Amino acid sequence: MDDSAHEPLLSCRGVFKYFGAMAAVDDLNLDVQQGEVLGIGGPNGAGKTTLFDVISGLNPASAGTITFDGNDITKANPVQICHAGLSRTYQLNAAFETLPVRENILCASYYGPRNVFFPKLRFDREAQRITDEVLEFTELLDYEMVIARELPVLQRKLLMIASALATRPRLLLLDEPVGGLNVDEIEVVMALVRRMREDRPLTVILIEHVMRFLVALSDRVVVMHHGSKIYEGLAEGLTKDQTVVDVYLGEGAARRLEHIIDEELHHGHDAS
Amino acid sequence: MTIPSTPAHGSSGAYAAARRQDLRLDLAIGFALLAIAVIIPILSPGKYILGQFTLFFIWACVVTQWNLVFGVAGVYSLAQMAVFFLGGYAAAMLGFYLEISIWYGAWVGAVFAVFVSVVIGAATLRLQGPYVLLLTLAIAVVIQALVQSDVNCFFYEGKICYPLTGGPRGLMKFGDLGFRDWLAYKQAPLGTYYLGLLLLVINTIFAFVIIKSPFGSAFRALRDNQPLASSRGIARVKYQILVFALSGFFTGLMGSVYAGHFRTIGPALLDLDLLLFLFSMLVVGGLGSRWGPIIGCIIIMVANELMKDLGEWRMIAFGAITVAFIVLLREGVVGVIQSVWRGYIVPRVPWLSDVRRSGLAE
Repeated sequence: MDDSAHEPLLSCRGVFKYFGAMAAVDDLNLDVQQGEVLGIGGPNGAGKTTLFDVISGLNPASAGTITFDGNDITKANPVQICHAGLSRTYQLNAAFETLPVRENILCASYYGPRNVFFPKLRFDREAQRITDEVLEFTELLDYEMVIARELPVLQRKLLMIASALATRPRLLLLDEPVGGLNVDEIEVVMALVRRMREDRPLTVILIEHVMRFLVALSDRVVVMHHGSKIYEGLAEGLTKDQTVVDVYLGEGAARRLEHIIDEELHHGHDAS
Repeated sequence: MTIPSTPAHGSSGAYAAARRQDLRLDLAIGFALLAIAVIIPILSPGKYILGQFTLFFIWACVVTQWNLVFGVAGVYSLAQMAVFFLGGYAAAMLGFYLEISIWYGAWVGAVFAVFVSVVIGAATLRLQGPYVLLLTLAIAVVIQALVQSDVNCFFYEGKICYPLTGGPRGLMKFGDLGFRDWLAYKQAPLGTYYLGLLLLVINTIFAFVIIKSPFGSAFRALRDNQPLASSRGIARVKYQILVFALSGFFTGLMGSVYAGHFRTIGPALLDLDLLLFLFSMLVVGGLGSRWGPIIGCIIIMVANELMKDLGEWRMIAFGAITVAFIVLLREGVVGVIQSVWRGYIVPRVPWLSDVRRSGLAE
């Protein structure tokens, strides 16, 4: 690993988000390096999704600063943040329900990468090319004409990731990308995230309750509780941290997770 | 496949093929309807029928433009008739006070209608769903009340007092489209008939191009999921104002045509039952669909003729039909035709099924 004297791609400094008197995000500091995959875990209501809402401009921070690639985006709106190269997915299977898959992605590939001052009467060649590429990459080509609301659950998840990728992001925020999927389907999404990293220098932050997924993909893990960071480090350290075991994992899950981490490490050695 | 596969703009074959098939279907339906409309006057159906057709052309335009805002962009605006009224009124006042021909005044009216429409669109930006209905309805009601209560004499003609806006009676004697002078008296209705038809054709092409273009995609994206759309680079403020501006132009233009055709325009245009009448066209045809407004307009105007004897009960019938469609047939007649097409016809006709398994959005 090279010594990262580089600026972090995303940096949160003293970020607060209040809903009334309740701090959903409470004095959070977070750095994400270029090319890294950061996993965020934590119990329900820990403020994980709120943090995504704050970063992506949907629900601006009450205090603190967020910089992306050296630019202050604390007060920027979602459209500006998308154009800056930061794209997100939603926990609910958000899609443009009445549009076919291809049009869903065309919207993102046309309006996402830069500000379109006045649209043309056709989607341009570039948007079509990105759409073809993303459809193939996410294995949605066979579904391109299906209306989004008629998609099976796995393809809905894939569509959401595909439409985020189509905006050509440098930082991708994935909010529970495998929530509600079965074991085989989780494998599909896992393989997709791995391919994403090989494909281009993409930085990813992902929120996930499925620890197997989180541990397998993340270079570094953060656990949040009551809006604060209670753990930051390698996945291997999770089960050895008593606070994480107490507030989030529980003893049983911690043992199972240890097992999974062992397996992952072995896989890692096998591969190399 | 029956279509030579030269995918336009490098887009994938199946989608492009479906779009081409959509276009050919649109052209086929369009030319069939156009042929019928061109032929009708040749059968000399009489002045009344011609007049009803002219009115149909005007309402079909208004509902088509309304559909862009209400159906495609999903902004529940009831101010459509207010935009129509103000566009027509601007042209009528120019004709009345400055003696400007309605042929020129119509363009001023259309531009004024765009301005009004944009202001209304901007006013609704902070509201969602039913609150947009309330605000826009209030705007229409207030405009009507302002004109109706305008009884201060602006000038006298002999002993008769004229308010600035004409008051409850509205405006008259501002000139007309002039077909009575150019054509023989008996042929004059043909002038407005074909003018209305021409404008309906242009207006329909305009609306279809918007619906099929990236504009339409942006409008639908915002309608379907506003937070997601903004995270994908589509700004609500910009596109909501844009859709109001785009739909305002033809709406206002048709207001002037209405004024020129009837040689009068008054606050009665803002009556609730006329709004409900047009709204039932929008709903029965199919909100957000391309052909919905025209098909809805045909159905409701025919129904209106058939129910002539019911008098006041007609409006109750239209109300009941509208509610029935909203509850039972959300996607309107076009939606029903589409599901029959996809569910029964396409699977049974082999050469159709490879192109159109699931179809496009609208």
